[in-house]
This record gives sequence, C-alpha cells and structure tokens, in this order.
Amino acid sequence: MYGEPYWDESAYYQFSLEQIEQDIEAPTAELHQMCLAATERVVNSDALLARFSIPAPYWGLIRTAFARREPSLYSRLDLVYDGKHPVKLLENNADTPTSLYESGFWQWLWLEQNVDKGALPRQSDQFNSLQEKLIHRFADIARQKHLTQMHFSCCKDTDEDRGTVQYLQDCAAEAGLDTDFVFIEDIGLADTGVFTDLQDAPITDCFKLYPWEFMLADPYGEALVEADVDWIEPIWKAIISNKAILPLLWQMFPGHPNLLEAYFANDCPALSTGKWVKKPLFSREGANISMIEDQQEKALSDGPYGEEGFIVQAFHPLPRFERNYTLIGSWLVDNLPAGISVREDSSLVTQDLSRYLPHIIL
Amino acid sequence: MSTQKRTKQINLSRMRKSVAVKPLAVGVAGMFLSACTDNRQQADIYTSVEDCTSANPDATQECQAAYQQAVEEAARTSPKFSTVSDCEYEFGDNQCRQVSTDNGSFFMPFMAGYMVSQLLSPRSYYSQPLFTSSSRYSPFRSRWVTADGHIFSGDVRKRNYRVNSSTFKPKPTVSRTISRGGFGSSVRAKSAWGSRSRSSGWGG
Repeated sequence: MYGEPYWDESAYYQFSLEQIEQDIEAPTAELHQMCLAATERVVNSDALLARFSIPAPYWGLIRTAFARREPSLYSRLDLVYDGKHPVKLLENNADTPTSLYESGFWQWLWLEQNVDKGALPRQSDQFNSLQEKLIHRFADIARQKHLTQMHFSCCKDTDEDRGTVQYLQDCAAEAGLDTDFVFIEDIGLADTGVFTDLQDAPITDCFKLYPWEFMLADPYGEALVEADVDWIEPIWKAIISNKAILPLLWQMFPGHPNLLEAYFANDCPALSTGKWVKKPLFSREGANISMIEDQQEKALSDGPYGEEGFIVQAFHPLPRFERNYTLIGSWLVDNLPAGISVREDSSLVTQDLSRYLPHIIL
Repeated sequence: MSTQKRTKQINLSRMRKSVAVKPLAVGVAGMFLSACTDNRQQADIYTSVEDCTSANPDATQECQAAYQQAVEEAARTSPKFSTVSDCEYEFGDNQCRQVSTDNGSFFMPFMAGYMVSQLLSPRSYYSQPLFTSSSRYSPFRSRWVTADGHIFSGDVRKRNYRVNSSTFKPKPTVSRTISRGGFGSSVRAKSAWGSRSRSSGWGG
C-alpha cells in the first residue's frame, strides 16, 4: 500500500511495519475492547437488549454467558484503510467470520514459497499469527474446561463453510483435542434435553459456524437453556456481532478516530446532509444495504433481511487501487490481534468479496 | 526488525490443503498421549471386583462401590445399537446384551472393565466403565475404550494410565434422540430468497 499496489501475475499488498503495528494492530485491539465495553452495557440493560432485537427469553442466557466470560475463539473487524489515514470500523464479524483458511494457512504458505524461490526478499514478513494463536487458544480452552473432545458444525451445502470448519478442526487437533463433525441440520434433541450428533452422542462443547440470531429463531432455540452446551462462539457474540453495536459505540465513544458516525435508523438526527449507508441489524453478505443521500434512499443490494430494524452509518468510501476497492479484515483470536486479510471488490458495496489477496510487510 | 509478525512454523503434513470431508466416525486417537500434562492422575483398570480387591486388599468396599458406579454409568452412557449385528460388528461376537427400557429395546456391549482413580483417597474416587472389542472390523479391537469412544493407547493388557481428571467427568445421558432438524430452518428461509447459489456459506 505504498501508494500504488504492486501487481504482477500474482498480486499482493505491501505494508510497512509501522502501518501494521500503529495503524492496524493497535486500533484493532482498542476497538475490540470498546466493543466489549459496549457489550457489557447491553447485557445490563433490558432496553438495549430489546433494541438489539434479542428475544427476551434469551436475555438470561446471554447475561450468564457474558458474566462467566464464556470463552470466545476469534473475530474479524472489517476496516477501511487507505494506508495513510486512521482505519475506520465498518463492522465487527464476531460471530461467524470466514476466509480464515485463506488468511491463516494459504497466505502464510504463499509467503514462504515466494521467499524460498527468491521472488520476495528474505526479510519479508506478514501480519499473520492466526494459525499459531488459534492452536494456542484451543489448547487454552481445553485446559480451562477440561476438554478432550469438541464438536464442530456448519450448514449443509456450503463448501466454503465446511472448509473453514475443517481448518478449525485441524487447529483443534493440533492442540490435542478430538474433533467430531455434525451438520447444523443434523443436530438432534434427546429425550434428556441434550443435543446429539448422528451417532446419538451428546454434544457438550461445540464450535458452530452458524449465526446466533438464526439459532435463537430456530425451533431448537427453546431447547438451548436445558441442553447446556458450551458453544463457540458463545451466545454473547449475538451482541458484539450485531450492527446495533455501531451506533452504541458512537454514543459511548463519540468522535473516536477509528469510528464512523452511526445511529439507529429510527432516531437519527443528521440525515438531511451527507451520505449515509443503511444496514439491517443482522445482515450477512452485504445484503439489504441502501445509500441515503440528500434524504433520498437508494437500494444498493437486495436481500431477505431488515424486519429486525436498521442502523445508519456515515458513508466512508473504500480506497481504490487500480480498478478495485479494498477492504481490510483484521483478525483477533480471543483479545489478541492476529493478522489481516485483504479482500477486493470491483463494486463499492462489499457484496461478494471473492478476490482474496495476500500481503507482505517490508 | 522487531519480532516476527507471522506464525513461526506450520506442520504442513498435518494441515490439509483441500477439504476432504471425513466420514463420521467414533472419535479415535490416543488422546492421553497428547501434550496436556496438567491435572493428570494415576488411574488403574480392573476387570472385576476381585481383580480390584486383590490389588487393593484394604479397599474391598471401595472396589465394590466403584464397580457399582461404573455399572450404573455404563447403563446410562454406553454405546447403544438397534440390532445385535451392529453391536457385534463393533464389539465382537457374544459381546453384546439386549436391554429393554420404556423407550424400547436396544443392544449394548458388556462392560469389560472399569477404570478407577484415587481409590484410596480420603475424599472421593472416580470410576468409569470401559469396553473392549474382539471384532477385527473395529478400531476398539484389543484396546480399552470409554463410553464416548475414546481409545486408550496400548492393548488391553495395559492396566494403568496417567489420565486427565476430565476423563471421569460424567457424560450427559442420552437414551434416544427424539427429533432432528430443529436447527437450520432460518437458513432455509433466508436462502429461499434470490437465486444465489448457497455454496458460499453464512460467514460474514
């Protein structure tokens, strides 16, 4: 990102160590702490829990999980960064972040191979300790909870999700855990109130790549309390990954250099001027986003979300390099910044960030 | 340059490079040989109460109680099969018995031994049932295996292990799964929208 991106037959982004440590790593750690502070405020307020569209029957479960600090594994902050100005938080994918395998493994291997064959200078580095930290984190969680086995789950018919989960299973296995896989749709409910896999084995600890807002809305939502599963990510991630966290952050830390001005759509003071992006609380894959400019609303993407309410966030364009808009995904494992992934899109709304680019620090 | 910002070392041979969905199988691998060293304690395996009392002449009562505890735990948590042939395929000929309950009838393997830890400790001791198999189709053949499918390294003649204390945490009971498919309907509702292929998942 020294002004021009470097392209050859395999393109990559180049950062300085200072850019990585001061502009990305430090704000990532700080933003995460701010999000935890906001989450704490939400779990202590019925009004905020309602505003976050969390169904009331689950408030107790969320409060307990947060009070116990049920361990989290990982999250990804989506940041706008042009290489010069402070990063801006677009959203916090704290519940079901993907592109993990590309970041933690493939990107790392790409650097090793290119350094080995002399295509990159020997001193090239990469902000990417994801795999190392994931393995350590699994070992920590296993120790804390005295685990030797964990279930892993995602939906059927999604190769990408299955790949992410397989990668996490491999990391857990490196940490000494036995892993069992069950598809979300195959999870069963036993006569004793516990969830089961297809072998009728009880599920006691489970990583799920399936959004909490869906779990709460599904028929088995009602069984969650009694089933008493230790889920990863834990249920308090329903708060931190909720887009309602964005207006709350702005309220708690107004004018913070890494935040964009944001409001709940139904009490928004300043829409008569400027450009705003309107997003549903639970949107995935950039769906149901619209742009508000001079009080005119224009849909940018279609989708099935929105009945749960919207937020508006000040429009901040993604930087453009050559023909592409660039978004930084900044990873955390537990509370620790653990690396970045760079994704590109040819349109301004990040609907389908299919192009993943590696990066180096030099 | 300060410290390296990337993962120091990746074990390439163990991290697969493309997704291969493994068949669902009972959990395997010698977990007690893994690097976790904290919290481990000595545990002994006995095949009968007499086996236990001859090794612990001062603890006849404890041996009896630990056996009883393991038998009850076995009834609750041991593997269950709907046919005798499925059970015998996994555990070997004549290794299974029929059990009838309110929920119907099924087959489960005989308890082949029980693992005891801290038998002589003044506080409490831990006990759990163990199984083994004579079936040549089974990964359990000539090994000790717990109710939830963990296989101990070494063959059945090995009678003491250093184990993690969680080995004795009782497993939740399941006698039968009464329904499936209660998760995932929100996904179906959302993906009913639009024509986009669902290969890309629900991650953010």
